[in-house]
Amino acid sequence: MMNDSVIRVENVSKKYCRGLKHTMMYGIHDIAKNVIGQSSHSEKLRNGEFWAVNDVSFEVRRGETLGLIGANGSGKSTILKMLNGIFMPDKGRIEINGRVGALIEVGAGFHPMLTGRENVYINGSILGMTKKEIDRKFEEIVDFADIGDFIDSPVKHYSSGMYVRLGFAVAVHCEPDILLIDEVLAVGDEEFRRKCMSKLNEFKSAEKAIVLVSHSMELIQGYCNRAMWVDAGVIKDTGVPRDVINRYFRNAVGIMQNSEVKGRRWGSGDAEITDIRLFNHEGKEVEIIESGEEALFVVRVRFKKNAENPIFGILLRNSHGAWVYGTNTMWHDMKFATFHAGEEITVTFRQRMNLVGDVYYIDPSIAYPDGITSYDWRENALKFSVVTSKRVVGVSNLDSCISVQRKADGQP
Amino acid sequence: MKKDKIIVYSPDRLIKIGFLNLWKEMFSSLFQSRELIWRLFLRDFSAKYRQSLLGVLWAIINPIITVGVFIFLNRAGILNIGETSVPYPVFALIGISIYGIFSTGLSASSNCIIGAGPMVVKINFPKISLVIAAVGQSIVEFLVRLVLIMVIFIIFGVVPKWTAIFLPFTLLPVVLITLGIGFILSLLGGIFRDIVYGVPLLTTLLLFLVPALYPAPSSGMLATLNKWNPLSHLVTGCRDLLISGALSNPSGFLVASILSIIIFLVSWRIFFLSESRIAERV
Repeated sequence: MMNDSVIRVENVSKKYCRGLKHTMMYGIHDIAKNVIGQSSHSEKLRNGEFWAVNDVSFEVRRGETLGLIGANGSGKSTILKMLNGIFMPDKGRIEINGRVGALIEVGAGFHPMLTGRENVYINGSILGMTKKEIDRKFEEIVDFADIGDFIDSPVKHYSSGMYVRLGFAVAVHCEPDILLIDEVLAVGDEEFRRKCMSKLNEFKSAEKAIVLVSHSMELIQGYCNRAMWVDAGVIKDTGVPRDVINRYFRNAVGIMQNSEVKGRRWGSGDAEITDIRLFNHEGKEVEIIESGEEALFVVRVRFKKNAENPIFGILLRNSHGAWVYGTNTMWHDMKFATFHAGEEITVTFRQRMNLVGDVYYIDPSIAYPDGITSYDWRENALKFSVVTSKRVVGVSNLDSCISVQRKADGQP
Repeated sequence: MKKDKIIVYSPDRLIKIGFLNLWKEMFSSLFQSRELIWRLFLRDFSAKYRQSLLGVLWAIINPIITVGVFIFLNRAGILNIGETSVPYPVFALIGISIYGIFSTGLSASSNCIIGAGPMVVKINFPKISLVIAAVGQSIVEFLVRLVLIMVIFIIFGVVPKWTAIFLPFTLLPVVLITLGIGFILSLLGGIFRDIVYGVPLLTTLLLFLVPALYPAPSSGMLATLNKWNPLSHLVTGCRDLLISGALSNPSGFLVASILSIIIFLVSWRIFFLSESRIAERV
């Protein structure tokens, strides 16, 4: 074992089971085997089981922050739970060197009827702190959670933000050497998030190891030394966060188009969107666009009835579902002569893709001149990825040019 | 920095570390959980009676009603309970209170893992603390009922025997058998909800197979059942100390106590080995 590696995972696999019936039966079966002193971890899959984590090996060193990315159900959380000792691996071996603190669910074990104060003590003990430790840290915890007098009210009267803040505060104050975090930073307001991040930076500079599961590529990129992409229980890629994330986005398009449910579709149907495609500036059809590159959305429309001055539009959403950009022909003051029944046209939207790396969804639409009722609206009709060479955060890539002048009189 | 011990997670590690080492690990884990057990116990206790007007009084309402029904059935001639050495209310209240440790304990423990909700799946902590804290509730309930028993003693002018001071020792096997069965039920309850629904029903039925509300019959089917039921001996033994000053069946009590210890140890071991399996199945 390397001196400075605090987590060492060797060829670890874990079985999971889909059906409830099987879960019950196998559960009893495994316990029965344990009772007679036999192994309940077999290398074979039973009916209805699958490998949720399959032959995974990696190491985390002191001072390192590893980010796990991957689609939902890819096995990230299972890996985290095994690191925490909640599940035992079915194959392989995990070595942990140090006290583990887990932020897998914040405030788990809070009792709604009890006060914040009581819950801090309960939650602290669950996380392995002694009463003395909690006594010592109590003020700090309450300060961090910033809930003031509410500390003596029952937790059920807390807002969801307060609840999470208190849970987080307890968890980060148990002084772990290794911190496991599962998508819990996504909560709370901006101010609290900043507080959390600075706490995590403290951990980082204290040479502690962190393993972080998140769907926020911003967080992974901004915070981790290394990213690991988990897909269907295996490690697909590991390395510098930006590279891994770019490769992940490239891959994400293909997967989503195959597996994801198409969005809804509504409208009168008197005109229909038959197709939408993405082309790069060379006119080649693509699924991945480099940030800042020029790209074309080409929408094909067929009219079933005559249409007076319709509006053609697009709406872009990012992977969180936030609206990123929308435009239409009405806002461009474009007017059209009547389209006739049976006519087929293409509408081309050409723009610079000043977006950050993410997966995007596009809704093409045709609306009546009132701008409210639609002929056809296709939600998530097309998915594509944007990758960036330079790191940026936020939703848009303004592609700044940065200059620094030493002289005080330096005017731009 | 804390201890620099390397933790290893591998399949069946606990089975492979050897018989004695496993016991060692079980005891050290239990010892380390003492504070958590106490916290969980306090949590369950304060949460249970908060936002309730009668609060802890609920612990005595239940036995009063049960015993009341039996007195009524007896007076009305529907039931013939037979002669008891002390006034019937004293006799029955002691019996049902001791039995209550068992029945309340089992209901609470069968539900404790599911009741703990997401923390079982999301946090690594010794889950045995949940069961012990749950059984702790039934002990509190018993202590409250003990106050009621004292009041009843005074009302009926019965003086408890001096042997009552040994009660803690005779209650121990009751607690151990409750914990033992509770460990298993909590595991099973995590997998099958049926356990949670079924246990209160079963303990109610079992109440009638234990001479808690009636004096042990000397012959007949019930006598045989009582004889082979360790709980009968434990309940009778505890009550004997309070009201007759001597164990009426010392060897029966001894065997039942040893059996309780064995059940406790074996179940504890099973629980310890299967704990991590439960998190996967809940």
